[in-house]
Amino acid sequence: MSKRMKKMDMNINKYVPGEFLEYNPRLYAFMALIAIAMLAFFVFPVKEFMGYIDPFYSPTILILPLVGLYRLTCYAYRKDYNRHIFRHPAACPVADRMDSKARPYTGETSAIFKAENLHRYFLYAAIIILPFFFYDVYVSLTYSGAFVLRLGSVILLINAVLLTLYVFSCHSLRSLIGGRNDCFSCMKAGALRKKVYDKQSWINAHHEELAWISLLFIIFVDLFLRGLAAGMPIDFTLMVMP
Amino acid sequence: MKSITIDKTVKLRVFRKDPKKAAGERYDEFDVPVEEGMSVLDAVNYAVENLDSTIAVRWNCKAARCGSCAAEINSLPRLMCKTRISDLGNVITVGPMRAFPLVRDLVADVSSNFKIDRNIPEFRPRAAGKEPWIMYDADVSRSHEFRLCIECFLCQDVCHVVRDHNAKYFGPRHIVKAASLDMHPLDSADRSVMLTKQGGLGLCNVTKCCQEVCPEHISITDNAIIPEKERAADKMYDPVLMLLDRLKKPNVEKDEKDGHEHQ
Repeated sequence: MSKRMKKMDMNINKYVPGEFLEYNPRLYAFMALIAIAMLAFFVFPVKEFMGYIDPFYSPTILILPLVGLYRLTCYAYRKDYNRHIFRHPAACPVADRMDSKARPYTGETSAIFKAENLHRYFLYAAIIILPFFFYDVYVSLTYSGAFVLRLGSVILLINAVLLTLYVFSCHSLRSLIGGRNDCFSCMKAGALRKKVYDKQSWINAHHEELAWISLLFIIFVDLFLRGLAAGMPIDFTLMVMP
Repeated sequence: MKSITIDKTVKLRVFRKDPKKAAGERYDEFDVPVEEGMSVLDAVNYAVENLDSTIAVRWNCKAARCGSCAAEINSLPRLMCKTRISDLGNVITVGPMRAFPLVRDLVADVSSNFKIDRNIPEFRPRAAGKEPWIMYDADVSRSHEFRLCIECFLCQDVCHVVRDHNAKYFGPRHIVKAASLDMHPLDSADRSVMLTKQGGLGLCNVTKCCQEVCPEHISITDNAIIPEKERAADKMYDPVLMLLDRLKKPNVEKDEKDGHEHQ
């Protein structure tokens, strides 16, 4: 080993955040899942089957980074990865938090994490992408030329609705539609805006649940399509319009 | 919270230390007979009255209104008077809030919070508007939630930033205070930029422990910290809104002038 290499090895903390060098089974499990997902998307892709378009490819896999960044900067996921991957802290009880004065911490003030403040822009992108999921439902319904309702279309519809609820329960949207105003009765259509704000606040309280349910449901849709492509008899026709 | 069946007595472990006398700390164990509906504060008071009168404990209302009996119970910050023995099991460990300097035993010195509080710009009424000030329920309801705060400082104690990492961060209680003023319909100041620059708002990583321990069930993170972060993003990080604000500014100044003229 050369002298230079040795020096680099000693300063590994400079290149990799300390949190990644600690023993953390949750981090390893997360990285394994990412690796499996990468393998599935790029080596064994199932983009479309019998008129069902895989949500990961709706409209194209190039969308994935935008959707990924939306979830990555989402307040719900921020809580999750700050707790489970960075462990700042791992849990609220002091004995279980695995956080201490000895661990360096900059929160959301470092150059990379300041990007969390741009969550709203990824929200705008997510809103633009949303109609494609509903279009996919339409495509699956009219796949054979006539209007045929199959179980898969229902699953795609549930997926689209869950994604819509997740996107529209966003904290940034909450701020945008009313959170940044202090006085509803001082503005035009204030009563209506307050109503919309209150309704959105109600779903916003469930943002964390929706974040996970919608993510797991996308994976479920992907697995459903893979099952179909593998020849499993898991789809059936519910209704045919003459 | 689910109830666990318990024996007739519980083992109460109480943190003991007097910083003025000895350097060491220890836990004293007491067997406390349990009565139905007994709280941790009742158990500690039983120990003080019958087993060891030298335990220092601060309490006042016994009704979760004053916030005096904040402590760490089985390592989670909670109010002693609001935590039932029946929710905890047979061994209960009680200690002071460790994010603050210790006075003695279960009593912590929370006065640093009152110093932080002084940094938050006070209520600044809008120039326009006749007196008496008229406020509508729809507008004050958000601000009202934050007024439920009893200043027990459990959120400050549980916050890993305040406790372990950075003294620059004001902490959840003080963001709530600032938000209660910011969201007031008659207030004209904006504290989000000040909170970010001076108060270390960016150090909060929204892990929501403050929200979990709040005895008043204030949605600290969802309703105060995140909206303040979003307001700060409007002014400091969002290029489009910053540009729009700059274009609008002359009008705002004109409005304010008009307001002064009315007065």
